[in-house]
Amino acid sequence: MPRAMKIVIGLLIVAVLIGLISFRSLHRRVQRLAELQTADEKARHEVLATPISTPTDVTVNAKIFWAAGSDRIAPVQMQLPLSADPVERSRQLLNELTVNPPTPGQRTIPADTALLGFYILPDGTAIADFSDALSSEMPSGILSEEMAVNSIARTLESNVPVLRRLKILIHGQEVDTLAGNVDLTGFFDLNPPAAPPAGKSHH
Amino acid sequence: MGRRSALLAAACRDISDILCAVRKSPFLVSLVAAAGILALQPLPTAAQTSPAAPSAPASPQPSASAGPVIVLDPAHGGTDTGAHGETAMEKDVVLQIARSVRAELERQGYRVFMTRNDDSNPSYDDRAAVANAYRDVIFISLHVASTGADGTVRAYYTQFATSNPPAPVAAAAGSPAAITRLSNLPAPALLAWVEAQRPYLNASHHLADLIQAELAQAFSGSPSAAGGVPVRALRSITAPAVAVEISSVSTPTPDLLTASAVPLADAIARAIVASRPAGAGVTR
Repeated sequence: MPRAMKIVIGLLIVAVLIGLISFRSLHRRVQRLAELQTADEKARHEVLATPISTPTDVTVNAKIFWAAGSDRIAPVQMQLPLSADPVERSRQLLNELTVNPPTPGQRTIPADTALLGFYILPDGTAIADFSDALSSEMPSGILSEEMAVNSIARTLESNVPVLRRLKILIHGQEVDTLAGNVDLTGFFDLNPPAAPPAGKSHH
Repeated sequence: MGRRSALLAAACRDISDILCAVRKSPFLVSLVAAAGILALQPLPTAAQTSPAAPSAPASPQPSASAGPVIVLDPAHGGTDTGAHGETAMEKDVVLQIARSVRAELERQGYRVFMTRNDDSNPSYDDRAAVANAYRDVIFISLHVASTGADGTVRAYYTQFATSNPPAPVAAAAGSPAAITRLSNLPAPALLAWVEAQRPYLNASHHLADLIQAELAQAFSGSPSAAGGVPVRALRSITAPAVAVEISSVSTPTPDLLTASAVPLADAIARAIVASRPAGAGVTR
C-alpha cells in the first residue's frame, strides 16, 4: 500500500474518532438543553397556575367561554374571586381561561400561552399582549382561530362591562393573523350598544 | 353655476375612466397593491351590493359575455403549511380540492382562475390583486380546518369591527400633495386597500349564506348559516368574497376531503346562480 494512502486512511480514522467523541458530547449537551427547557416550562406553568389575587377580590358568578364540542364555544358559570379593578379582573379571567379548562377538550387557547400584559385605555379599548405560544401553538384554521379569539373576547365582555373593544398583540407586536387566518390587525368589539327597538330596525 | 356643474361632472367622468383603466390592468392593480395603500375602485354596482331580489329566477341566464369570473384561492402554500394532520397538510389538500372544483365549475361553463396552482405562497395582496383585476368576479378562498366534525363544511364572510378607527390613508405616489389630492376625490371612489372589502360586505354575507344553505344540504351536520369572522384573506377583495372551510385535516380518511370537491363546486355554482339579480346572467 502506498505511503500516501496509509496517511489518508490514518487521517480518516482520526477524523471518525474525533467525530464520535464530539457527537457524544453534542448529544449530552442537547439532552441537557431539553431538560432545561422542560424545567423552564414547568416553572412557567407554576407561575401561570398561581392565581392572581388582589385586595378587592370578591367571589362572584363568572362566565368563562370554553369549547363546547369541536365547533362552538359556550359559557361555563363558576364562582371566582375577581378584583374590582378592571385590569386585574381581566388578567384573572384570562388566566382562568388559559390554565383551568374543565376538561382538556374544552381548551380553546394553547396551554403554554402566557398573558404578558393587559392594559385598558380611557376609551374602553383593552389591549391584551400574549406570548408567542398563542400564535405558534394554535392549530391553524378559521374555525379554531375564531373559537380562540371569541373565547377571549366573550369572557372579557361578559365579566368586565367597561370594555368596549379588544386588541390582541403577540409578544408586544401587532401581527397579521393569529395562525394564518383570523385577522388580528383590527379590534374586536366588546359589549356592543344595545340594539334599537324592534320597530326601528332596518332589516 | 350650470357650467361649473358640467365641468365637475366631466372631471368625475375622467376620474372614473382612469380608475376603470387602472382596475382593468392587473399590473397596475398589483402595483397599487404592492404600494399597500389604496384600492382604486368605483363603488360596487347595485347588482354587486344588494342581495338578489326575491323574484330572481333560480335557473341561470345563459350569456357568453356576462360574468361572473370565479377566482379560487387555495389557502396557504410553500412554507406555510396551514393546518396539518398526521398524514395531510392543508396547503396540499386545498390545492387538490381547488383543482377539482375548478374543473367542475369550468365544466359547468364558468370562467375560473386560481391564485396559485403549485406549492407557492402568494401574499394576501397578490391573491387579492388576482381577483381585483376583474370587473364581475366572485372570490372563493378554500381552507381545511384543524377542528370541527369530519365532513362538515363552513362558509365565512369577513367582518370589520364597527368601532375601528378610520384607516390611515396615504397616497400611492407617496407625496403629501398627492395625499391631499387623492383625499379630495369623491370619498366613495377610493377605498383603503386594507378595508377594500368593506363596501361588499352585504353582498359577501348574502353569498356566504346562500353557499352555506347549499352546503348544509350537501354535507350533513354543516351549519345552516354562514359565519362572520375577520378572515384576513378576504379583507382586500373588491368583490363578493367568501371563505369555505372543510373539516378537518385530522380526519382518519383524507379521501373524504378531496371527495368533497364536486359537491362543493355544485354548491358554489347553485349559490352563485341564486345570488345573481334577475337578468345578470352567468357564464354558461
